[in-house]
Amino acid sequence: MTYWEDIKPGDTSTLGSHTVTKEEIIVFATKYDPQPFHLDEEAARQSIFGGLIASGWHSCAIMMRLSVEAMRREQMAGVGSPGIDSCRWQKPVRAGDTVTVRTEILETWPSRTKPLGFIRRKAEMLNQRGEIVLTVIGVGMFRRREATA
Amino acid sequence: MDLIYFEDVTVGESHRFGRYEVTRDEIIEYARQFDPQPFHLDEEAAKASMFGGLIASGWHTGAMFIRMLNDHAIPGSATTGALGFDDLKWLKPVRPGDILSVETVVLEKTKSRSRSDIGVVKVEGRVLDQQGEVKMTLVSLVLYRRRSAPLATG
Repeated sequence: MTYWEDIKPGDTSTLGSHTVTKEEIIVFATKYDPQPFHLDEEAARQSIFGGLIASGWHSCAIMMRLSVEAMRREQMAGVGSPGIDSCRWQKPVRAGDTVTVRTEILETWPSRTKPLGFIRRKAEMLNQRGEIVLTVIGVGMFRRREATA
Repeated sequence: MDLIYFEDVTVGESHRFGRYEVTRDEIIEYARQFDPQPFHLDEEAAKASMFGGLIASGWHTGAMFIRMLNDHAIPGSATTGALGFDDLKWLKPVRPGDILSVETVVLEKTKSRSRSDIGVVKVEGRVLDQQGEVKMTLVSLVLYRRRSAPLATG
C-alpha cells in the first residue's frame, strides 16, 4: 500500500493514455452536456471550435479514470477529494486524440482531526502533439500509515 | 427568443433552477466508466468506508450540474463554452435519492483581451439538495458572445 507518508512534494508521475472516440464524445454530451459543439458535427463546424469537441467535464472524467487506474496499480490509499483549486480547458479535445496525464505533487499536509493526510497535485492532460489541453490543480485525501497499525 | 449576450448579463444577478433525481444505478454507471472507486461502485464497500454508504463521484456531481445548466440556462444564452472553473468544493456527499438543483450568482464580467467578439463572465454555481443543503460550489469562467460583434468561426 502507498500511504500519505509515501507521497512527497515534487513527485511526478505519468498516468496511462486514452484515445477519445467520436462516439464517446457524443454519448457523454447527450447525457450531460448537450451543447451543439459537443453533439453534432455540422453544428460544431460552425461554432468557434470549428469541429466536434469533447465536453470539458468529459475531459475531467477521463483524467479521473486515468488517475483511479494509476492509484489502483500503485495501491494508493486514496479516499476522495474535498475539491479542486482550478481547472482550465486550454485546448479542445477532439475525436481521435490520444491523451495522457502527467502529475506533480505540489504540497502535502496532515489532517488535524482525522487519520488522513492531504496532497495538492497538479495534473496536466496532453494530446498526441504534446499540447496541454487540460490543467487541474486539486486536493486529494489519503490514509496515513500510522492510522492503520 | 432573444438570446442573452455578454452585454445583457448583470453582476449580482442570481437564478435558481433545475431538478435532478440522483439514482443508485446512475451513480454506479458513471463510476464504472470514470471513477471506479469502491465508495462510488459498491454499496457494501461504501458502507464500510468513511462515507457510510454509496456516494456519487464528485465529477459526476459536476456532470449533473452542467446538465441542469444545459436544461435551463444555456439555451437562452449566447454562451460558447467555458475556460474552466476555480474553487470547486465537494462539501457534502451526493447520495441515491437526492434531488439536486442549481443556484447561480454573477460575480464579475471581463471583456476578452484577445477577442473582441467574446467576454468572460465569472459565475458562482451551487448545487443544492432537496433540503437546501449545499453539496458543491464552484466559480465558473463562462464565455459569452458580445452583442456588438459578429462571432468569428473556425
